[in-house]
Amino acid sequence: MSNEEKLIKRSNINNASIDAWKQEGKKIIGTICCHVPEEIIHAAGALPVRLRATGCTEDSSAEVWMSAFSCSFARSCLEFLMDGTYDYMDGLVGSDGCLMAGRIYDNWRYAGKDKIEGKDYYLQQMGVPRMLKDTTLPFYQRELEDMKKGLEAFTGNEITEEKLQASVDLYNETRSLIRDLYELRKSDNPVITGEESLRMTMAAMTMPKEEYNTLMKGFLEEAKTKEPIKNKRARLMIIGSALDDPEYIKVIEDQGGLVVTDATCYGSRYLWEPVEVDDTGVMASLTKSYLSRPTCPRMTNLHDELHDFILKAVEDYKVDGVIYIRMKYCEIWGGESVFFEDKFKAANIPMITLEREEIMTSSGQLAVRAGAFIEMIEGGEK
Amino acid sequence: MAEKFDLFKDISDSADAAVNYVGQKHPENLWMFDIQKVYWNEVHNAKALGKKLIYMGACVPMELLYAFDCTPMLLDMLPTRLCTTPELAAKYIDIAEEHVAASMCGIDKVDLGTVLSGDIPEKPDAFIYSTVPCDSSRVAYPAIDKHLGVPSYCMDIPYRKDETGYKYIADQNKEIITFLEDLTGTKLNMDKLKEVMEISDKTMILMKKIADLRKNHPCPLPGALLFLNQLIPAMAGHPEMLKCMEAQYAVAKHIVDHKMGAVKKENFRVLWLQNMLWCNLSALHYMEKTYGAIVVMEAFGYQETDLFNGSTDIDEICYISAKKALALPMIHGSSGPVEDYLHLVDDAMEAYDIDVAMYVGHVGCKHCWAAEKILKDMVQDKYGVPMMSLDVDAVDIRYKNNDEMVAVFKDFFDTLIENKKE
Repeated sequence: MSNEEKLIKRSNINNASIDAWKQEGKKIIGTICCHVPEEIIHAAGALPVRLRATGCTEDSSAEVWMSAFSCSFARSCLEFLMDGTYDYMDGLVGSDGCLMAGRIYDNWRYAGKDKIEGKDYYLQQMGVPRMLKDTTLPFYQRELEDMKKGLEAFTGNEITEEKLQASVDLYNETRSLIRDLYELRKSDNPVITGEESLRMTMAAMTMPKEEYNTLMKGFLEEAKTKEPIKNKRARLMIIGSALDDPEYIKVIEDQGGLVVTDATCYGSRYLWEPVEVDDTGVMASLTKSYLSRPTCPRMTNLHDELHDFILKAVEDYKVDGVIYIRMKYCEIWGGESVFFEDKFKAANIPMITLEREEIMTSSGQLAVRAGAFIEMIEGGEK
Repeated sequence: MAEKFDLFKDISDSADAAVNYVGQKHPENLWMFDIQKVYWNEVHNAKALGKKLIYMGACVPMELLYAFDCTPMLLDMLPTRLCTTPELAAKYIDIAEEHVAASMCGIDKVDLGTVLSGDIPEKPDAFIYSTVPCDSSRVAYPAIDKHLGVPSYCMDIPYRKDETGYKYIADQNKEIITFLEDLTGTKLNMDKLKEVMEISDKTMILMKKIADLRKNHPCPLPGALLFLNQLIPAMAGHPEMLKCMEAQYAVAKHIVDHKMGAVKKENFRVLWLQNMLWCNLSALHYMEKTYGAIVVMEAFGYQETDLFNGSTDIDEICYISAKKALALPMIHGSSGPVEDYLHLVDDAMEAYDIDVAMYVGHVGCKHCWAAEKILKDMVQDKYGVPMMSLDVDAVDIRYKNNDEMVAVFKDFFDTLIENKKE
């Protein structure tokens, strides 16, 4: 089996790496959203697994708890917690990325009482500032210190400065490898599709980084001899709400587009900017890094940084058009257009806005709209 | 040439007209309308009077703004006021939807739409806001900030409601003082602040006393007055707010003393669990008149807040203001940990001898809807009280009109009456 195939297989929420980890009697901690530094969980000897709902086809149990007015991504994550998909987890660290993310955590504590109460199960909800300023950094660091203490008590493993530094180094290597993966996509004829790339970044969320890094290095070697993809009609970038469904990208790519980059939290925004440890210490450096990286428009004063990242990617990856995906009821990304519409117009970037639900029931409609967008790009219309 | 539409003037004029009308027809009720007249007159005339007009979001310490002799305008006062003129609210919602997702909260869409519309001829002198209450406001407020381009300050409001959270806000309150000093070119006048804090404390004490009077059987005041009290966070420290609460307290006390109630026969004591139905208060009148069902309390208005108690220590004042900010039920009760919301409802259920709970939920408050089952389970399991749920748009009557709402209320209360018979 090639490294690529191994990575693709490990992009499943339940996979061989998870099984092996559990068989060793080690703990797995779920995380919600982008502001839970996995390095701290790793340094405690546990495996962090980022919560997602890839492949969810039914969310009615979660809808009872979260209502039909909730974001279907959040609802589907709760569904997977409830239906046993994540029964391998020994705990959950939430962060209030958005209010829906907060409610996954809240509802799980009630809906999942049978699986939590009386068990050795770790629960923590972090409050993450929504601004980057002098006042907010010490607050966030304190939240991370609380998380460190909680995980030390739960796992029985002390998180020393050295261990944390080693975790940061490991994760920085993952970041570097993911950037290398994206580097491949800058080529005029890349060797991987957007669908495959998403599977590969998601694999990093459901397996030990040590193993991931080895497989990814192997894949990057294999990629040198891989057949380039040709005959694609438009180079596309995806921006917007959480997108953890490679099939969604496949529908777009089946219409003749090639997704060459993205600004989504399961793609490039997962692990990208390296954590630079300075003389303030590892924890303080993690704090700065996680709060300042432009990951999600939840940060009220980092819109420009996020747009700069997108605009630079458009240039670097020779993007012909941007697909802006709004998850229904995701207000954070749903309103982001008000901040970037003028900039994107000025940059003359063709863009299409699509509304998405986690359970893909309208692939035909998506195919038609994606096809029309690609035709429009080919025709040179803006 | 037609005069350009001035939204603040329009609201101010309509508040004047309401006062004139009520003054002639029902002078005993003037106190309910005077407060709105004063508020909107001040907003409209701020610039002409040489005052700094400051747009505001939730959690900003109102007392500080009054101490600096500024005129605050809480942005969410716009949608709650404009929704009584549905076509005007619709106009601003439609403008906002040209730029943001239609699912965004109608309150924030009106806020954003009014600012983008150009119907407010002059910009404010500053904008002070915060990162609460919800994801919609986290889009609308920074977008308004960007559009206005005036001096601004944004507070980050924490998820946690504890000493760490209070101190976090207190530190930012101090930054607001510096911001206001820079904006106004004056130092904080402690004598003025003391005076404002005293009024604020008196207002809060009266609010609690009125809330206590509502515990009486029958409840002395109609549900709609709970909605008027929503002005308190917008005008805490303003003498007219105190006057309004004094009048409300006097009416409530009189009714209780005479063993009367807001309705002839009180059949159902209702706890209102979610946002106020600003666009259709007549639905409450219908419940009262048809079923003797009175909203005795609402979860978002049920609050006991800290008092300044004559403090002159600025650190302590900033800290108390922080505690007050995190006590705002709509703010933290709904957008913090679900237990905050749950406890607000639990306390009100306990204190007000409730026999019916109504979750008439604003569709914009998705995070509240995502807590509705947890609330319902508690209300039904702990108190054995039925709870109805209905989705509405609190400021956009186009989503569900009065007839549609009333039809659901009718079914609900008819069923309760049938069940009582059985």
